[in-house]
Amino acid sequence: MISSLNAIVPMLCVTAAGLAAMVAESFRDPGERMPIAGLGIVGLVGAAVATLLLWNHNVSSFGVVSADNFGLFVTWILIIVGALSIAFSGPTVERERLPAGEYYALMLFAIAGMMLMATASDLLIIFLALEVLSIAVYVLTGIRRDSAQASEAAFKYFLLGAFSSTFFLYGIAFTYGLTGSTHLDRVGSLIAAQAMAPTPMQLLAVGFLLVGFAFKVSAVPFHMWTPDAYEGAPPAVTGFMSTGVKAAAFAAFARVFLTAFEPLRGDWGVILSVVAGATMIVGTVVGVAQSNVKRMLAYSSIAHGGYLLVALIAANDVGKGAVLFYLLTYAVTNLGAFGVIAVLDNGDRANDRVSDYAGLWNEHPGLAALMTIFLLSLGGFPPMAGFIAKWYVFSAAVKAGDNALAIIGVLTSVVSVFFYLRIVVMMYMTSSSQPLRFPAVPKIASVALAVSAILIFYLGILPTRVLDWAAESISTIF
Amino acid sequence: MTFPILTSLIVLPIVGAVLLFAIKEDDAHAATIRNVALIVSALVFAETLLLWSRFNAATADFQFVERHAWIPAFGISYFVGVDGISLFLLVLTGLLTPLALLSSWESVHKRLKVFCIFVLLLESAMIGVFVSLDLFLFYVFWDAMLVPMYFLIGIWGYDRRVYAAVKFILYTMAGSVLMLLAILGLAYMHNTANGAYSFDLLRMYALPIPERVQFWFFLAFALAFAIKVPLFPFHTWLPDAHVEAPTAGSVILAGVLLKMGTYGLVRFAFPLFPAAAATFAPWLALLAVVGIIYGALVAMVQPDMKKLVAYSSVSHLGFVVLGIAAMNTQGMQGAVYQMLNHGVSTGGLFLIVGMLSDRRHTRLIAEYGGLKRVVPHLVSAFLLVTLSSIGLPGLNGFVGEFLILLGAFRADPRMAAFAATGVILSATYMLWMFQRVNYGEVTNEANASMPDLSRREWTILVPVVAVAVLMGVLPNIFLRPIEPSVDRMLALTQRSASFRAQAARSPERLALPNRGVAARSPERLALPNRGVAARSPERLALPNRGVAARSPERLALPNRGVAARSPERLALPNRGVAARSPERLALPNRGVAARSPERLALPNRGVAARSPERLALPNRGVAARSPERLALPVRGPAPHSPGSARLSAERRVP
Repeated sequence: MISSLNAIVPMLCVTAAGLAAMVAESFRDPGERMPIAGLGIVGLVGAAVATLLLWNHNVSSFGVVSADNFGLFVTWILIIVGALSIAFSGPTVERERLPAGEYYALMLFAIAGMMLMATASDLLIIFLALEVLSIAVYVLTGIRRDSAQASEAAFKYFLLGAFSSTFFLYGIAFTYGLTGSTHLDRVGSLIAAQAMAPTPMQLLAVGFLLVGFAFKVSAVPFHMWTPDAYEGAPPAVTGFMSTGVKAAAFAAFARVFLTAFEPLRGDWGVILSVVAGATMIVGTVVGVAQSNVKRMLAYSSIAHGGYLLVALIAANDVGKGAVLFYLLTYAVTNLGAFGVIAVLDNGDRANDRVSDYAGLWNEHPGLAALMTIFLLSLGGFPPMAGFIAKWYVFSAAVKAGDNALAIIGVLTSVVSVFFYLRIVVMMYMTSSSQPLRFPAVPKIASVALAVSAILIFYLGILPTRVLDWAAESISTIF
Repeated sequence: MTFPILTSLIVLPIVGAVLLFAIKEDDAHAATIRNVALIVSALVFAETLLLWSRFNAATADFQFVERHAWIPAFGISYFVGVDGISLFLLVLTGLLTPLALLSSWESVHKRLKVFCIFVLLLESAMIGVFVSLDLFLFYVFWDAMLVPMYFLIGIWGYDRRVYAAVKFILYTMAGSVLMLLAILGLAYMHNTANGAYSFDLLRMYALPIPERVQFWFFLAFALAFAIKVPLFPFHTWLPDAHVEAPTAGSVILAGVLLKMGTYGLVRFAFPLFPAAAATFAPWLALLAVVGIIYGALVAMVQPDMKKLVAYSSVSHLGFVVLGIAAMNTQGMQGAVYQMLNHGVSTGGLFLIVGMLSDRRHTRLIAEYGGLKRVVPHLVSAFLLVTLSSIGLPGLNGFVGEFLILLGAFRADPRMAAFAATGVILSATYMLWMFQRVNYGEVTNEANASMPDLSRREWTILVPVVAVAVLMGVLPNIFLRPIEPSVDRMLALTQRSASFRAQAARSPERLALPNRGVAARSPERLALPNRGVAARSPERLALPNRGVAARSPERLALPNRGVAARSPERLALPNRGVAARSPERLALPNRGVAARSPERLALPNRGVAARSPERLALPNRGVAARSPERLALPVRGPAPHSPGSARLSAERRVP
């Protein structure tokens, strides 16, 4: 009986930590400082240990959650995302006087939902996980209740998110109607056994699910919510959702489309190719025009979603491995960048316009250097991790013969370098007349930033081991 | 285990950068920072000289090779080595970096430590580019190099530095990302052909690539390199980057970075894709010639010395590309030599312009005049470097340009003719600039009190001038190690391109050339003239029917016209020679016989003297490597050995 729970132990750890955070908050005297964030870290460490023990065992719980290596690799990414996000949240929570218990509890519930999404092998469970993480993230987006911008962003995110969830549910319903099952393996084998030419019903089912996923990974044309939500949320939350939600959604996306709907790849592959091309182009081209760093990184994150889609479409061994490696790299890099933004947030001044970065080098040379590392890695410069990740993705595309996507990919990454460099130019090559505007950097956050930077160089210079893990992980399910 | 000298060359500057990172940055430590950076870069230079002294000039093989697995799943390895082409580029890098650092001692005060760190990181990446023999590793260094250069221009440059820095990095990246795709494509082709990924350059040389694919891959590689060179019309980033960069940046940019483009053409684009290279070489040569003339003309009208030197680089690098595109020994050897020359003389020019600009804070030619009276030492160094840049015999520039023009003439005399005007034009703009700056009266008061060379500046200029003279007087000590490597690259470039490509596409196509036709309509092969036969059967039977109808005697007596004009021409074809010198007909080799009779008697005398066993056992080498090749010369067109494919194909195809 107990052993049937094995696969969900990481989620249980995180959920328990979230509940503990809520309880702790309710027992906290007003004004008392409590290390609630520490509870989250404890939960994540528990999850990490559990994940490590589950590695290679390929266990499953209730027949709907399967802790295969693919899911566990994503779980690892989510644990890193969670730990870094909690580390970057400290200054924001304190400065904005956010309710710490609720904030961390929501974050932990969202992580639990993400983990479930990454390991679920049944469409209904995927939907359940999607809702768990989405609702938590909607609330986190609007957690600064006194800010009109944050409320607007949360409301927009919520409305569009709810809308896309219904698409997703429709997709599940059609799939169930076609095959009589929501379990991915059965769906896959039944679709494979059905007629050679896809029926309109099958296409509808795939289309609805595609829309649902495209919304979650903010693929064009379902990306409209992204810039607003990213701009409105506190920077630490933005970093969290831009990486965590994307990792979980892509894990489920890959699992559903590369196992259950693999037989229909000829049909969804074409649509997704167009979506991927448009996502890369819109993300970078519109990103060039942004003057707010968070909005700029929002568009950059859309573009990175496009690169991930390219790897997904390639659907060969390299592409599947590339999805995992890219998610890891992107998570570390993007969180680092948002971490810097979070650290620079000054309470009364968000300091998130590009021009606010003028002369950062003179005031915080270390922070400027770290931000440069993150941005160059996002832009794909060696020897940073971003280069290896992009190389991996483009290898997959070239191997699959998607030359057009590969060419769009490399060219848009050149364009994206332009806007990443705008921030670098501001930090290093423009001097500011204003006096000291940036707060001091808290210790935990600076350690987390340094860890991210070291990880980026590690993944960029010695990627072999992680690449091998990624390759091993995909071999378990595909 | 031998000492990994190439790795140490890459690592040493990084170690220096880390050391500098640990030093506190304030005025008290400025001297320490400068000295550490200078000592590290001087050590690197010493190590490159050591490399040269240990280098075996007789072989074309890569030497000091190191190979370690890096990302084994994709066949990526850390694979480095040096041949004659890259050897001197390393020495050049080693020479210019300390000079560049020295030149900035007076001009860079802001953020000195970071400046030195970036220069050292840049040096490490440059060395990495020149020694990489793994395409992936090469690309990593190629891209990594952009970042320090971007910061050098952007932080320590002049007024429009940000624009110039961003333009520099975007242009270069835009070119190189497509090269990345081509590299990936190569790796996958290797996987399809041999069952394993590889980015190993030497394996890629042996990889048969279909001609159509070569076309695209060559374009991708050539674009990346053409932007870097920069070849007209991709040169627009160069004047901006040069003018806005600090002196050290300009010196390294002109001296080393531009060479990466031409080095890439020699090492990668041409030998990897010989068929495409043969197709595109005339076009590259054309662009090079346009660049030579255009660069020279634009240089002539520049009011700013730095911009003038920048455009002169466009012109000079045009010569290098012209030499490469000639695809013969002289041209390519000259191109490699000219890369070094350009590094020395243009690097020297930028150093001198930097010295003037340190003194007066302007680079406008009109601001100077009559410097010869004020700073005679500086002007004499300036004169020597100017003359070496023009290509005066006795200085380095002459040897390279001469070889290139020789090679270009052999390839296409028209190109050489137009390119030669560039030599004249370069004399015009350089000497005119030199005259306006240095001769005449001192027109500007501010110039009258200029100090002459300091000891630091002597230290910078003496090596530059010494190398320029040395390379002009004794070119052979440089050309000898270059030659075998150039020949090897040329041999790769000139592989019989079409057969290689055909063999790659489908070996059976060589064996059964008309296979496809046979499949589609067998009767076409059997009765090739079927259509004609159907339309007018008499055309097949009597092909010359028309001629016969018009003038029957033309068929009977084809040489009728000649016979009519001068009957004796038909009878005695060599009549003219016989009339002029009868003995030429009788003794055709008379001249050789007169000069050295033993050459006629013993034609292989030289080989016999050098290595008698070569005459006795001509296939000795093959026998040593693979005895079965001698025994079974035609083993079938295996896809990996285009040579044997060619052999067998020649026998089968009538």
